[in-house]
Amino acid sequence: MKEITVVFLLNGKKTSITSLPNRTLLDVLRTDLGCTGAKDACGGEGECGACTVILNGKPVNSCMIFIGQVEDHQITTIEGLMEKGEYHRLQKAFVDTGAVQCGFCTPGAILTAKALLDENPHPTDLEIREGLSGNLCRCTGYNKMIDAIHLAEQRGLDD
Amino acid sequence: MTDKYTTVGKSLHRKDAWEKTTGKALYTADIPVENVRVGLIIRSPHHFAKILEIDKKSSLDIPGVLAVLTSDDIPGAKEFGPLISDQPSLARDVVRHLGEPVVLIIGETKQAAEKAADQIQISYDPLTPVFDPVQAAKEDAPQLHMDGNVITELNICDGDIEEGFQDAEHILEDTYNLPRIHPGYMEPETSLAVWGDDQTITVWVSSQHPFTDQGFIAAALDLPVGNVRVKSGVIGGAFGGKEDSSLSILTALGAWAIKGAVRLVNTRRESFLAHPKRHPAQIHYKLGARSDGTFTALQAKVHMDTGAYASYGPAVAAILTETLAGSYRIPNVQVETQVVYTNSPLSGAMRGFGSPQSHFAVESMVDSMAEEIGMDPVQIRRVNILKVGEKMFTGVVLNETATALPICLEKAQHAMDRFQAVEASPGKKAGVGIALAAQSMGLGAHVPDDSTHRLEWSPDGKVLIHLGSPDLGQGLAMAVEQITAEALGLPYNQVESLPLDTLDRPNGNTTCASRMTYMVGNALIDASEKLIEDLLSRAGDILELPAGKLIYKEGQIIKEDGTTLPVVEFLGRLAEDSILLTSESTFSFPYPEETTPQDLPIGMPHVLYCFGAQVARVEVDPDLGTVEVTHFAAIHDVGKVISQSGVEGQIEGGVATGLGYALYETMLNKDDQWVDSFTEYLLPTSKDLPIHYENIILEIPEASGPYGAKGIGEIPLVPTAPAVANAVKNAIGVRVKNLPITPERILGFID
Amino acid sequence: MQEFNYYRPVTITELKENLSQPGTRILAGGTDIVPKMRQGKFFASILVDTSGVKAMRFIEDQGSEIVLGALTTHQEAADSALLKNINPALVTAAESIGCQQTRCRGTLGGNIANASPAADTIPPLLIFDATLLLQSLGGDRRIPLEKFILGPGETDLQEGEFIHSISFKPLIGSWGSAFIKVGKRSGMAVSVVNTAVAVELNDKGKISDVRIALGSVAPTVIRCRKVEQSLMGKEPEPSLMKEIHAACQEEISPITDIRSTEEYRDHAAAVIIQRGLESAVEQAVGRGR
Repeated sequence: MKEITVVFLLNGKKTSITSLPNRTLLDVLRTDLGCTGAKDACGGEGECGACTVILNGKPVNSCMIFIGQVEDHQITTIEGLMEKGEYHRLQKAFVDTGAVQCGFCTPGAILTAKALLDENPHPTDLEIREGLSGNLCRCTGYNKMIDAIHLAEQRGLDD
Repeated sequence: MTDKYTTVGKSLHRKDAWEKTTGKALYTADIPVENVRVGLIIRSPHHFAKILEIDKKSSLDIPGVLAVLTSDDIPGAKEFGPLISDQPSLARDVVRHLGEPVVLIIGETKQAAEKAADQIQISYDPLTPVFDPVQAAKEDAPQLHMDGNVITELNICDGDIEEGFQDAEHILEDTYNLPRIHPGYMEPETSLAVWGDDQTITVWVSSQHPFTDQGFIAAALDLPVGNVRVKSGVIGGAFGGKEDSSLSILTALGAWAIKGAVRLVNTRRESFLAHPKRHPAQIHYKLGARSDGTFTALQAKVHMDTGAYASYGPAVAAILTETLAGSYRIPNVQVETQVVYTNSPLSGAMRGFGSPQSHFAVESMVDSMAEEIGMDPVQIRRVNILKVGEKMFTGVVLNETATALPICLEKAQHAMDRFQAVEASPGKKAGVGIALAAQSMGLGAHVPDDSTHRLEWSPDGKVLIHLGSPDLGQGLAMAVEQITAEALGLPYNQVESLPLDTLDRPNGNTTCASRMTYMVGNALIDASEKLIEDLLSRAGDILELPAGKLIYKEGQIIKEDGTTLPVVEFLGRLAEDSILLTSESTFSFPYPEETTPQDLPIGMPHVLYCFGAQVARVEVDPDLGTVEVTHFAAIHDVGKVISQSGVEGQIEGGVATGLGYALYETMLNKDDQWVDSFTEYLLPTSKDLPIHYENIILEIPEASGPYGAKGIGEIPLVPTAPAVANAVKNAIGVRVKNLPITPERILGFID
Repeated sequence: MQEFNYYRPVTITELKENLSQPGTRILAGGTDIVPKMRQGKFFASILVDTSGVKAMRFIEDQGSEIVLGALTTHQEAADSALLKNINPALVTAAESIGCQQTRCRGTLGGNIANASPAADTIPPLLIFDATLLLQSLGGDRRIPLEKFILGPGETDLQEGEFIHSISFKPLIGSWGSAFIKVGKRSGMAVSVVNTAVAVELNDKGKISDVRIALGSVAPTVIRCRKVEQSLMGKEPEPSLMKEIHAACQEEISPITDIRSTEEYRDHAAAVIIQRGLESAVEQAVGRGR
């Protein structure tokens, strides 16, 4: 099995990785790139969303993407969400509404929410539920996450 | 809401939330350690088999393979178990369930360990397994353990059931089947162990009971307990399933074997197969009532399947049994409960701990009886709910907080009225259902239950809580910080909990049983008082004044003449003399002799109860049998809200779990394989929860609770499934008695 | 995870060349293949990643035909105004698959190649008699989608071939199409049974053309031609339900598996065909005005 070199933008920074091609983006992020915010909760079946990252503006399950597939792409992980030491409005909203309990699903949920708001700045409740449906949570029952997304939406308007 | 409190009752930020939103929170799989090796477990492919031979010779030569361990290699105790020491850390002579750990491989890399696994030959002699607890209890069933398959037989009686049924004008009998379900925490079981100098080891765990883990690890490695240090990583949910030391023992074993660092991270499949589930149960329930609705008798037979190992089976049986009469007055009762081994994956603690099973039976039967008699389901409950001072059939007297019951019913009635007024969507049939719940707090009488915690007032003014029990993610730390801040009159941000470490934190006991805010809160209120006392005494020494002449208030020491001095000044002076201001307090769960029945088996009864009611509105598609929960009201008495957002979060999350139990979740055995992934094991997603949702939180102070607080951790998922079943019956006239309530069951295609 | 060598072509020419090597298999979005490889259910000594071949991601109205590039994602199909107009069943189906994360990666070509009997995009394509354009270094060929899928997970894709695009002719006149799926939960719902129905009404309001495809009731998604025949020339009304059920039973062979039972699938299939028909007829009546 031949190693490959993959070049992509990670949280705005040009990143080059040489790796065996049979490793997933999730594995490379966690093991080689110090981005442990993305989690494995379902065994890489794409059933839980805890590994969600944003790829070219879309939320994707990083456990189902081989590393070679991100060549030339833009990736945002939870580690890249803060700007100049300031929390993103979604991070603040999740904390403010009490949407964070054990937190294992939180990075994935926040990134899914960010991708949602970036494309649809004023989602309805149903659109939020649809958008979040790939992020499983056992702690919160989702209500406060939905509140958080609305709150972030409101604050985005005030900016 | 009132507020004489500054901190208690508010919605404040959890201090650990920020790092959870940035990815910086370190769960046990994330903790960076040098040269950490990988553990891999070879698991039994059989449900039940003798192990004839394990041939590991050729695997040891593979480059990168550091150790290949079997039961023989365990230096100390080869078995463990919280109640019965029946669970081998690595299987010895026999495997009793699919997925049971047999061999532990430690490799430099995952690839090396996998290559070793391919080389290892294990020969088995398969035996005929048994999965049905009723069958397994029979004499001629395959025997799993030396002392037979029946581990617990309870027979709890009150009154005279023959008379009770004679007195009844209506008698109904039904059987309810509750499935095996997974706690569903998002973080799979994970452990990290690092061998130290001088025969010491440090183990990070994602666990509800680090001190218990410490004991089991020490026993397995034949080390003094003091040589084993257990630290809590950030925990990604537990829900009972992480009251289980199996993975941490193996991780420690691996680290001991290679005298290095080992991390084991379970896959989701391993989590399904080898870690504790909710007990499946078959409940035969016979209820007698008069035509005015009064219950006269209850007779129940319960068969619980604890799987291959006992785990907390007997304790779950206790709560299941005690709560089978629910919140009702039933003067004549007989409950026989049997806990049986089978070759299924083991069942143990899971949020609710027997109560979700019992309440599905009682709350479904109460509705059935209402229909039989021609009574309104709220009215029949009103007639029978226990009052203050009355006894449950176990002899437990309900205290003044039982006034919650009629209030819960009243609020439930209002919710039912609101939901019933909503018109059904075209083509659908709508129905509304109610269920009540009584959830016990505590571990049960005669089970030692002490929780010790410490406070430290550091020189910079911060009060540090040496929390002796882990926060599982539910927000225990936040709640007890609020309590401590209130008790000391300090701002919330001046109080902080420290991560749990057996080296220097006191033993707060297991985080479980709806009792943490209650016990830890009480301990810290007492510790706060001791801290203040100590502070005033030392301040008096420094000021050369009697302590009685000084008052403490909100971070200030106040002299008789009214002058105030900040506490920080005194702390600084004490620090100069190397004096650290600390206090410690132990709270023991109260079982007052005068009111605790003494004639029951150990672990019974539970004497303090939380109450609640839930109302569900469903729409059923009459042709497809699909169910949508459109409206939901959760009514819960918590004594006193400590953290508003924390309490809401517990209720909302619990209801979601309850809806999963009601409608989607079951770990079936199909084609000889267990459901072992989220592809087939369906947790509720954000689209599966009711759009219209109401929290109705009551505060009926519990006199013995911190600021009047009671528990909320488990009860929110207890009445959910029966509320949904009752709503489905109301909608289309079909009573589903087996969970989950699937379209196939509603339309009668399966039982 | 298995070991493999990895190619990432960016043009169709490169793709053809890569696939002409022995032992190659195609990777598109990865939502089926990556988990299967991890589980040991899919093998490749060379994995050819097509996800960079931009030329195969398109949705085009070519006049007489609508052509969809094989690498069009489910989300792109779901968001397409053109498809909403021409094949609303396909849009409903694409929207219903998995979740945001998997829809942004999963492709129409990948879903077809995976050939699951529960696939959601296949029924709406079958009812439009979709054909596939298969390409390889050796040349091109067209094949009806119905003939391409041979069994669960089995297709007629030959070594060196890839699906370039999927085409179908739009329906004209008073027509309508609908997709209905029964899942075990609302979010991330795998089909227990699904159907796509297209209907055309003549100027007397009777059914002049009807196409029905059912999933999860046979080893592949099937066209229910007996049901279609039984409906031809009829007035669309509720009493047709009995005929649908009877005709349906003759053509389907549902099984009992971890998700559902044979009896339930049998029952639900008829229900959703009837509902699909109602919905499609409503659209057809709307278009007829």
